Amino acid sequence: MKKTTRIAAVAALAASALALSACAPSAPPEAGGGEATASSETLTIATTTDVVNYNPLIGNSRSDYWITNLMYPHLLSIADDGSKEAQVATKWGYVDETTGYYEIRDDLSWSDGEKLTAEDVAWTMNAVKQDQPSGTFYGQLANFESAEAVSDTRVEIQLTQPDSSIVEEIGFWGNVVPQHVFEKADSVANFPNDGSDGGWVSAGPYVLTDVQVGQSYSMDRVDDYPLIEGGTPSSAKVVYRVFPDINTEILALQSGEVDVIANALPPAQVKTLQNTPGIEVEESVGLGYAHMTYNMTKPDLAKVEVRQALAHAVDYDAIRKVVLQDQAVSTGSSPLMPVLADYYDKSIKEYKFDTDLSRELMEKAGYTADGSGMFPVSFRLIYSLQDSVTSQWATLVKDSAAKAGITIELQGTERNTYLAQTNAGDFDIYAGNFAIMDDPVTNMTLAYLPDGAINYSYVDDPELNELITTASATTDKDEKIKLMQEAAAIVNENVYDNIMYTQNLYFAHSDKWTGFVSKPSELLSIVNPISVASAHLK
Amino acid sequence: MSAMKGERMSSPTDSSTDTGAGPDAGTTAGVDPAETAAATDAATGQPADASENAERDRAAVASTGAEPVATESLRASAATWRAFRKEPLGLLALAVMAVLVFVAVAAPLLAPYPGSYGDTVLEGPTGAHWFGTDSLGRDVFGEVIWGTQQSLLVAVLASLIAIAVGTLVAVVGAYFRKLDGPISVLVDLMLSLPVLPLMILIAALVGPSTTTIILVVAAFSWPEVTRIVRSQALTVVGLPYVDAARLMTTSPAWIITKHIIPAVTPVIVVSVVVTASRAVLSAAGLAFLGLGDPNTWSWGRILYEAQQSGAMSSAWWLTLFPSLAILALVLSATLLSIAYNDARNPKSRRR
Repeated sequence: MKKTTRIAAVAALAASALALSACAPSAPPEAGGGEATASSETLTIATTTDVVNYNPLIGNSRSDYWITNLMYPHLLSIADDGSKEAQVATKWGYVDETTGYYEIRDDLSWSDGEKLTAEDVAWTMNAVKQDQPSGTFYGQLANFESAEAVSDTRVEIQLTQPDSSIVEEIGFWGNVVPQHVFEKADSVANFPNDGSDGGWVSAGPYVLTDVQVGQSYSMDRVDDYPLIEGGTPSSAKVVYRVFPDINTEILALQSGEVDVIANALPPAQVKTLQNTPGIEVEESVGLGYAHMTYNMTKPDLAKVEVRQALAHAVDYDAIRKVVLQDQAVSTGSSPLMPVLADYYDKSIKEYKFDTDLSRELMEKAGYTADGSGMFPVSFRLIYSLQDSVTSQWATLVKDSAAKAGITIELQGTERNTYLAQTNAGDFDIYAGNFAIMDDPVTNMTLAYLPDGAINYSYVDDPELNELITTASATTDKDEKIKLMQEAAAIVNENVYDNIMYTQNLYFAHSDKWTGFVSKPSELLSIVNPISVASAHLK
Repeated sequence: MSAMKGERMSSPTDSSTDTGAGPDAGTTAGVDPAETAAATDAATGQPADASENAERDRAAVASTGAEPVATESLRASAATWRAFRKEPLGLLALAVMAVLVFVAVAAPLLAPYPGSYGDTVLEGPTGAHWFGTDSLGRDVFGEVIWGTQQSLLVAVLASLIAIAVGTLVAVVGAYFRKLDGPISVLVDLMLSLPVLPLMILIAALVGPSTTTIILVVAAFSWPEVTRIVRSQALTVVGLPYVDAARLMTTSPAWIITKHIIPAVTPVIVVSVVVTASRAVLSAAGLAFLGLGDPNTWSWGRILYEAQQSGAMSSAWWLTLFPSLAILALVLSATLLSIAYNDARNPKSRRR
């Protein structure tokens, strides 16, 4: 019996070993015709994760964002340069220093027939402020006091202190949810919104109708969606299908099983897929950055020379060329990325890759290399294993630091462990990235003020604090840009943050489909509501 | 295998004598070496068939001689080797294993250590890169060669730890009958645990490193060794020569090391090979799940990085070569243990 088992095990092993390498794509089926107007087609989109949370107000995974985004609209959308565009709101701005306003469209309805009014907008903001759901929306409400619907189409918000970014930031990051559905819950922070109470209600182009956990999420067209030309979404149905990983997604796209891959393509796959017949690749401008921060609560890293030594021991060009296949742009080691054209300061230059300079800086900091040329320091660099690009360049960072005599120990962990380590400050060097860093003042407030939510270097520099708080209250744009550039120069000089690149992302879809509208970042990409509603068969 | 062999082995005895006489022969779990056959016959005192006479005599010597173990094992191993040489699959497996060991030891001579990155990414096999390049342009041939080192290291160390712990627990349990109950329960408990999820959990909590992998794999491999060795040791402890040894000394340690462990050595040898191949599979599995050592090349890490970079659908060479390496090691280890066991057992020797 045991012999049989063992032989079976050997056979299974052989089979699995071969199966791993025997993935051959099959030819996509023939293309069909189609119109840009309402059709009976189904658009199938591949994702790699299930929906964890159907409540758009709670911090969530990619799939959560993509699916709820098709149902709960935002007041504002974003352009490739980070500036905001009208969506539900048509006009926005400030009444005075501590009062902001949004004028909203009057032709939007929820899928159950109720009108979407300024009441829904104000109620959503107030509920989020009161119930504090964990997520980006609540994170933007620091200086928000309350919102009021002064008419059916106008909302005014009161601020606790002048904040020149908050109207646009709330407008972009916050969704609008139906008051008549969400108010039944005690708190929006723990309302599951799982459709168990008679299904979902949508003001987007599609409404979720059927969920097969681990397999698919089916959404039906909402006939009246005035945000696109024609007022009716093209496809009758949108189905999100769950796949184990990007490899299986690519195979499914090649075989015609799905029409779009929602996840960004790994850099090394972009060229291959661009040359694959039947597949089109769309570019989405990056609006975030990848960076490393050095934990300044650690005595070694509190020394500016050590941080500079580390910053000069990274081969940025190699990372962008090899790992990112030239799909990334240098930020000039500054938080003001080139994509933010108004703010970008050319005079701030990227840290030069120079291991000799690193050694000099280490010696200046009081360290002496041993016989083998290594300094008596070792830093633990954490990153998420789910982030394949960072995992790849982490190795390059370690190898180039070793050339400068600095030991870096890699600690890649599962995403939740990584997030817990990040929040607890349990690291020497943190490597990660942000999808959208659209507003420099908001970003610097979060990243460099002492109590900032993403202040992963634990920096507390009075001069920097002063610049950021002043900029936050400044409404004059030129003045604000000047203050931000001064702040960026301080961050760069002191290596409070080592911002390495902005990655442009690529998304693949079947060439039978057209009409996608690409937006910045993986969150919006070609699966943003306007794009999904406009996509149609050629 | 055990049940099949147990039946085959005990049937001649059963047909010629009382079934209850053989100590544990029919219930012996795991791999049965020559000694079991010999011991069964010796204990029952019944002639089985002519071909077994030599074995029975040898066992008789073993149970009465002053220091018979060394002589016995020498003669037995010579016979085993003679029989093993007639097993073509076994010899082939031995050759493959020898090649792998050579590759591991001579890695620095065979390929330079894979660098941080290379010029051409995801290039198929060429003259310059026999196994192609990965998504960072590194040489897959070099990765497989250096991966052999880590894979064999994990295999050897994890199985050694598992064997040492497993054997110790097994013989102690078999010798001291009072401990046997609790040990059996512990072993059953360990064997019923869902091993892979636990390994993932521990590796994820402790953090990935080669040491972690070795310890985790060893921690979940020893109960299987205990199970196999214990059943064999139970048989041996009941034999007259162990009773005789008790007359010579009061030291259980001496009896265990001089008489019981040598008698169960063949089972241990087989276990080493099987446990080692399992360790390679577990280590590759953990590495594929991203819980391998990111600082060392292993076959699992090559597969993991291929999966992470989304290159599995287009770059077959990234998965084929490390998979073949794993297959070669595990298959040769399994065939080697089967061949050794067959050679060791006079009942199944080729003639």
